[in-house]
Amino acid sequence: MADQKNIDEVKSPLEEKIKVSLLVNGHAKELQVHATMRLVEILREELLLTGTKVSCGIGRCGACSVIMNGKLVNSCLVRAYQADRKEIMTIEGLGKNGLHPIQKAFLEEGGFQCGYCTPGMIMAVTSILYQYENPTVEQILEGLSGNLCRCTGYGGIIRAIQKLTES
Amino acid sequence: MKFTYSSNLQRSAIRLDGIDKVTGKLKFLTDLSFSNMLHGKILRSAYPHAKIISVSTKKAEELPGVRAVVTSKDVPGLNRFGLIFPDQPVLCDERVRYVGDAIAAVAAETVEIAEKALQFIEVEYEPLPVISDPEQALLPSAPQLHPKGNILHQASFQKGNIEEAFQICDVTVEETYELPRQMHAYMETEGGVIVPEENGRITVYVGTQHGYNDRFQLARILNIPESKIRVVSSPMGGSFGGKDELNIQPYGALLALKTGCPVKIHQDRRESVRSGLKRHPMKITMKTGACRNGKILAHQVRMIADTGAYATLGPAVLDFAVEHATGPYVIPNVKVEGVSVYTNNGVAGEFRGFGGNQVTFALEGQIDRLAVKLGICPIELRKRNLRKADDPGPVDQQIAPTDGAAQVLKEISKSPILTKKDTENKKSIYEKTRTGVGVAITMHGGGLGFGRLDPAGGRISLNEKGKIEVAFGFEEFGQGLLAVIQQLVMKEVGCSADDIQITIGDTYCVPRSGSSTASRGTSMVWQALQRMKDPFKKQLLEKASQCIKVPSTQLYVGPGGIWSLDGSNAKPLITYRQLADKTNDDPIQIETKFPFPTTSHSIPGGHYLYSFAACAVKVEVDELTGKVRVKNLDQVVSAGPVIYPTGYLGQIEGGSVMALGYSLLEEAIMKQGSYVTNNFDSYLIPTVKDIPTSMDITAIEELCEGDEYGPRGVGEIGTVAVAPAIAKAIHDAIGLWVTKLPVSREEIIKAVHQKEMKEWLTKKI
Repeated sequence: MADQKNIDEVKSPLEEKIKVSLLVNGHAKELQVHATMRLVEILREELLLTGTKVSCGIGRCGACSVIMNGKLVNSCLVRAYQADRKEIMTIEGLGKNGLHPIQKAFLEEGGFQCGYCTPGMIMAVTSILYQYENPTVEQILEGLSGNLCRCTGYGGIIRAIQKLTES
Repeated sequence: MKFTYSSNLQRSAIRLDGIDKVTGKLKFLTDLSFSNMLHGKILRSAYPHAKIISVSTKKAEELPGVRAVVTSKDVPGLNRFGLIFPDQPVLCDERVRYVGDAIAAVAAETVEIAEKALQFIEVEYEPLPVISDPEQALLPSAPQLHPKGNILHQASFQKGNIEEAFQICDVTVEETYELPRQMHAYMETEGGVIVPEENGRITVYVGTQHGYNDRFQLARILNIPESKIRVVSSPMGGSFGGKDELNIQPYGALLALKTGCPVKIHQDRRESVRSGLKRHPMKITMKTGACRNGKILAHQVRMIADTGAYATLGPAVLDFAVEHATGPYVIPNVKVEGVSVYTNNGVAGEFRGFGGNQVTFALEGQIDRLAVKLGICPIELRKRNLRKADDPGPVDQQIAPTDGAAQVLKEISKSPILTKKDTENKKSIYEKTRTGVGVAITMHGGGLGFGRLDPAGGRISLNEKGKIEVAFGFEEFGQGLLAVIQQLVMKEVGCSADDIQITIGDTYCVPRSGSSTASRGTSMVWQALQRMKDPFKKQLLEKASQCIKVPSTQLYVGPGGIWSLDGSNAKPLITYRQLADKTNDDPIQIETKFPFPTTSHSIPGGHYLYSFAACAVKVEVDELTGKVRVKNLDQVVSAGPVIYPTGYLGQIEGGSVMALGYSLLEEAIMKQGSYVTNNFDSYLIPTVKDIPTSMDITAIEELCEGDEYGPRGVGEIGTVAVAPAIAKAIHDAIGLWVTKLPVSREEIIKAVHQKEMKEWLTKKI
């Protein structure tokens, strides 16, 4: 199955890179990457923004959630060519001037434990609050249903959101 | 719909690791990068059971960008690992026994090249018959997976005479329960970076639940002294027992040593599912008999655990299940037999609850069935058989007196889930939904148990920076250990949060504290501080006294430094910083070593300290779709004083939801030794939409008078009583006795149809 021809094929895609322009957390970035490189890899490996995590790699857990042009996306499902000329906000872009109220609420209400789902979860909450000023419980549940947390059982996360929306 | 999550636990101080976690600044070990770093990938077996005829890595080595390929020939020391006894090959040479078995590992300049290189490794296999069922493994005709056969471990407990006792019982129930292979599903899959250092040393930045144990196992594999290995094991994105055993460390270390470069391995989810540990699937048959007055006289248990291909902590899990087979009940005649069997299924091992979840599901199921047969209220039946504070433990061993069982049962019976007469009772407006309630209790041992090395210890010092440095060989994987240490040091020493520096999870600079497992962390931190605080404070005061020329009897240890007892000063007489400067040549440091308290009775794994929980749930069963929804869930926990309320609450809420998944959703399905559920698209864990709309968690802090053991850990207890409570609630709703988890929707629909058909047949026209 493995012959010299195959080995050559492996080499070739490494040379095909495209130019991608991104606005990440307000900073313009220009990169030469493979057209199919995942946005999560661009963030973590090219830009060293490791706050965005990878857990399932297939868009089922939300650990890699970021906001792209105002919408919550799984950055493991976005390819470089799709992210070109887009505005991206990651956890690092939230609360640049001190803690954002969402982050504070998570801290105070035990909205995290191991912290691995937390950046994605907080981006999902950010997205909910972008969309609705006073989200209903149904809107909150819908907005968080793509983000898995194995530690908290979501109790602390719900409390954090309740605190935010009540205040 | 509204969520009400209440508790007698008041949310408290913000945890130390909190800000870095909510801002994404925290570097998990899989986030680390080093210059010249290579990327590693591991070739796992293509078959669940096969002979390896040959392995050729030549083509992979020739692939540009590949820097090293290692196989069994490259293992300098013992080509085996395993926490109890090493039976799992690091790199297989002759035979593979499950789909997670490693055959080779590659280090390359990029992950893509490393992945590609795996395809160029040529392995010739001769497939062997697959043992996919533990009962099949016990047949004489079954292929033998290990030199000593297919039985990993047997354990038993016996007292009284069950045969005679069953004869005088008025009612008997017998049932077989089947428990699934649950996946830990920690969000951060296994990984990290292994960095070669000078003079043949290496640093292993990979999460684990016992850094020193990884160091020991790695030294044995690499054939280098332990002193040359530094294990940095914290923080971690979840573990739940799953990262207790070695995972990718040996491969990263072999590749780092061979290439002389740092090597990062971060398994993707599919690789994690394929190679990682799971909870033991068990089949448990119980026969339980009682008198008409509800006194249980006899209890017979037979359990068979599918331990998969290798041992890891399988023997200890079985011992735990056998020990907890009678739970908090006093039963005069008992016979428990357990066997843990090797198969070609994925390796089962340590997982939050440690065998207690499986056996408690069966035991509480028996009690509920007896209650129906006897016509006694389930809570009353439990009460009539419950242990008293001074009763021995479940295997008749001496234990620390505890009234936890009665406390949690009494408290849970006040839960509105159970007391509030439901107006919508049973059938709701929506014709096809029925509700029901259930309750269950449990008792759970802490620590590793009798006969197992279970050392603990810690260190406290005034370091050169003027910080009170506390060091423990524990890991933070989300449970909130850092917050527990901080809270306890503030309370026991009297200093402020700013005065404290905590060092954990690094064999280079922590004392041996044992493993961060078995609900022992909080317990051991408290006990260590009880031993260290007085001598430490005494030394602080004596040194301060020498420096400021005030008798130590007039001083006390307080926030920021040493204060005068007369209260006349607005600030410390000497700060910790000043004191540290004066004690540079003779630093103040106290260290302690002690074993986890254990029973004096020689019962393998027998425990001494126990915690208790009771759970009440209300479920809604949709008769049309078979869907079960847990609407309300209350838990009461008795585990001694609460140290960090937010963490305690999080452990019980999180444990409850994990157990809800165990009951209703989760099963790592294997067919003929291969996983059918490979990722979160088919292995479903609870989302925010699956959780109860109300949860109430009550902590009972009171211990028996004279108890000297302080807080017990609560990492596991919240996961144990949930499944049997849900099963009983389903019975209450639709009359079906669930025997198999996760609850099958098809089974519910079938049961509903059968019931309706019966009603139709007996109905007059």
